[in-house]
Formats: sequence, C-alpha cells, structure tokens
Amino acid sequence: MAEKKTTVRSQDPNQRRVLDSMTRHRRLTRQLEALEKDNFQDDPHASLPQLVKRLPQFDESNESGNESSKRRKKTRGDHFKQRFRKNFQALLEEEDLSVSEGPNYLIACAEPSKFPQRHFCAVCGFPSNYTCVSCGARYCCVRCLGTHHETRCLKWTV
Amino acid sequence: MSTLVLDNGACFAKIGYSHEKVSVIPNCQFRSKTSRLKTFTANQLDEIKDPSGLFFILPFQKGYLVNWDVQRKVWDHLFGKDMFKVDFADTNIVITEPYFNFSSIQDTMNEILFEEYQFQSALRINAGSLSAHRYFHENNSELCCIVVDSGFSFTHIVPYCRGRKMKEGICRINVGGKLLSNHLKEIISYRQLHVMDETYVINQVKEDVCYVSQNFYKDMEIAQLKGEDNTVMRDYVLPDFSSIKKGFCKPREEMNFTGKYKTGEQILRLTNERFAVPEMLFHPSDIGIQEMGIPEALVNSINNMPEEMQPHFYKNIVLTGGNTLFPGFRDRVYKEVRALAPVEYQVSVVLPQNPICYPWEGGKLLAENPDFEEMVVTREDYEENGHYVCEEKFDI
Repeated sequence: MAEKKTTVRSQDPNQRRVLDSMTRHRRLTRQLEALEKDNFQDDPHASLPQLVKRLPQFDESNESGNESSKRRKKTRGDHFKQRFRKNFQALLEEEDLSVSEGPNYLIACAEPSKFPQRHFCAVCGFPSNYTCVSCGARYCCVRCLGTHHETRCLKWTV
Repeated sequence: MSTLVLDNGACFAKIGYSHEKVSVIPNCQFRSKTSRLKTFTANQLDEIKDPSGLFFILPFQKGYLVNWDVQRKVWDHLFGKDMFKVDFADTNIVITEPYFNFSSIQDTMNEILFEEYQFQSALRINAGSLSAHRYFHENNSELCCIVVDSGFSFTHIVPYCRGRKMKEGICRINVGGKLLSNHLKEIISYRQLHVMDETYVINQVKEDVCYVSQNFYKDMEIAQLKGEDNTVMRDYVLPDFSSIKKGFCKPREEMNFTGKYKTGEQILRLTNERFAVPEMLFHPSDIGIQEMGIPEALVNSINNMPEEMQPHFYKNIVLTGGNTLFPGFRDRVYKEVRALAPVEYQVSVVLPQNPICYPWEGGKLLAENPDFEEMVVTREDYEENGHYVCEEKFDI
C-alpha cells in the first residue's frame, strides 16, 4: 500500500474535541435545513445597479382599457407587495393553527417511523457500523475514517 | 366559454385548455451567469445557451406559494400573447393548491384571479382531488381510493371516499424531488466533483440514472464489487454546453473499468448513489428526517380510516407525481405495502401512464362534467360576497 497508515490512536485523546449530543443534534438540523435551499450560489444579478430594473416593461397591461389598468394599480402598489413578501415561517405562524380544531398542516405531518434507523458511511455511502468519537459521523472502515478526519471532522463549528 | 386547467406545481406548471393538450412548463424564473441582464421566465429556459450554474427563483417555499411577485410574472407570461393568449372575460380557470393551504394564501389567490386577471369564474381544488376524479371516472365501481402525490416539495398521502377527501387520513412526508436532488448534489460534491451550483444538471442526472432497488442490501453488496462484476455502477458524461449539450449515461459496453478515459469529458462514476437517493422516499430516516416512508405512511393512513373501508383503500392505491417515475417505484411500493397489510386484503397499486399530468387530465374531465357550473365561483359571486363564498364552496 502506498499510503502511510496513521492510526487514530496515536493522537492524544485529550486533543480531540468531543461534541455532545445537543451540538450533534443542532448540526443535523442545520444540514437538513440546508437541503431545503433552492440555490447554493448567489444571485448573478445581485451586483447590478438598480437603475436597470426600473426600465418600463411594455406588456399587455398597458394596452388594455383604463378600467383594468386602474384595477391593476390597486394590486401592484407597494403596500400590496408588502403583504406578499412574507416567507413561509411567517405565514405559518399567522395561521395560528393551535386555535382551530381538526386536522391541519401540523397534524398531517408523518410520524416517526417504527423501523430502526439505518446508518450509512458519511464518506462512501455504504452501510456503516462505527461512529466517529468526536463528531458522531458514521463510517464503514478505517480508510473512510481517515478521509473523514482529514476532510470533514469538526471542520466547521456550530 | 373555454376552461383553462392549471395544475400549479412547485416545479412544473401543467397548463392547457380543456379542449387541447397539456404543456408542462417550469414554474419559476431563471437567471444565468452568462446573460447578465435578462431574467428568463418559465419556458424561456430553452433560450438559455449555457445552463451551468443556473440560478432558480421559485415562487414556492416548502410547497406553499409565498412569492407572488414571481408567480405573477410567470402567470403573465403563460396567460399572455406568447403562450395561451387567454381572454380573461371568457375563460374559467381550474387551479390546484396544496393541501391545508393557508387562508392568507387562499385569499390572495382569490384576489389575484378575480381582481387582477378577472377570470369569468374559478375553481380552486387540490391536485389529488383531480387525480381521484380521474381514477373514479375510469373505475366506476370503486368507492374509495388513496392517492399518493409525490412531488417536488413533499409527498402527500390522501384517502378519498366517494369523491371527497378524508381529512383525518391525510399524511405529509417532507421528502420531495428537491430534497433528493439537493442530497445527490451534496454527496457528489463530497465524493467526486463540486456541483453544488448545478441544480439543473444534477436534476437531469437524477432522472436519467437513479432507480428504486427491489432488494436494498443486495444491491449494496453488488455495488461494492470491483470491475465488471459491479452491474450497478454507471458512468455519466456531464455536459459542457459546447460540444455536449445534454448529459447522458454511458452504455455499459463503452465503460472503461480499469484506468481512466482518454477523452476529455467530465465523468461521474455513480454506484450506490443510484439507488440510495430514491431510497429516501421509503426511509427518510436514512438521512436523519424522523418520518415514516411512503409504504409505512400509506398503511398508517389507511389504519386511521373506518374498518369497513380499509379493504377498498388497499385495492385502489394510485401513484402520481414526478417521483413515481423512478424505475422500479411501483413494484417496490407494492412489495412493501403487501408485506405490511393484513393478509386477507387484496393490494393493488396503480401507476398511470403519465403520473405528472394525471391531475391535469382529471381537471380536463372535470371541466367537461355537467356539474362543473355549480362547483365554480363566478366573478359576480365573488364581488358580491367576497372571500366567504370561496371558503364555503371550495373544499381545501
């Protein structure tokens, strides 16, 4: 084997920080929330000057009759937009679901599974048997543990 | 008096007049690094020459419509002169909403449909109700069915009896196509190549290469073998948008099992990701989401129903939504539900020809239904009575 095997035991146990279960749980929630994102990069238009966006848009609304364009002004003004820029969490809280009875959005959510959770190696994806002492990630073999220590273990703090 | 049927999904909008065919159009706006001034709407995606690093702007968040600015722009484009040329005063619209939609969103939708676009009449309905309508139309003798709608944002399991949904049985699993694509991006970025920005390309990879395994642990063992024995492994050629416009999966004959490829293409080697990613639909706990998978939730939902209806639900399981297109999905659901259901009940799982457009076809049938006139709310009704009449009539 060309690579030099460095055992984990050679590291002083006092030097490796061990995360407690609260921190591990917070890390997991962070990871799951990151999976909900639409984009992982920034908006390509973010750095453009605002002037460009003020160009008039010649669309159907300008050509239709006066009455409908008056109505549209009611629905396109700034106060209207304020109402429509809430994010999901705000809307959910507004709904105030604890008040109403019967099934609602929160009750409809699926319950935890009755089957035991399966664990997979964080590095290669195959079924894992062992857990990293420091951060709680799973691994399947010593080689994957080495990769994990080099790349991901405790690399960012919560 | 024409009727426009719009299945307003978080990823794709399925839209068409009830007397014409359906078009499946992305329901979002795109921005590209290369063409800096323009924001592309909906099907203008085809005009983008270089979809790498494409930036998505979706009006939906967690499956609910929160960003009306973007949605209105997409609708303006769809209803306008480039696409459907809608004559609002003469058109009815059938539009779908997610289950348990928030009342503020429902009110806003009413305002926008009636006051801004000024449709003649509107019907707001759940997508699953349209699927159930279509199913009952084909199978007249059945009284109950249970619809599994596995889409972009989440998966809903909804029992229907005699055309009405049973609210106590509705079950939502927060795993959808978006989660699967994002997870695939993460694992590829960690193991092989940084693709976190390439939502569009990886979505294509997921659709081309992923499948649902019938025997998970056995496939895992096969995937660990080396060389030719590893029948699970596939190489996927990534597009570079100059010579290769669209990514594709290399056929097995051309694969090079030892050593590297001579040509300069970028290759992704996928082994267990192929079936581990769709496995999340069946076991969300694999990734840490403490929820039941689809088969378990199906059985759980049916158990919440009255006993005499349960055998009928088991006999009529309908799969809809984009995620059901994974090869092997239907067989796996059947296998797992059969294992969990009581032995005396008959289990039958139906996967329609076109699961993505199945609710749209239900909407088309509904528009041709003689009772349609009584189900809609006309603009005059709305102007007299306000949101109240919509709350009464629509069962959302």
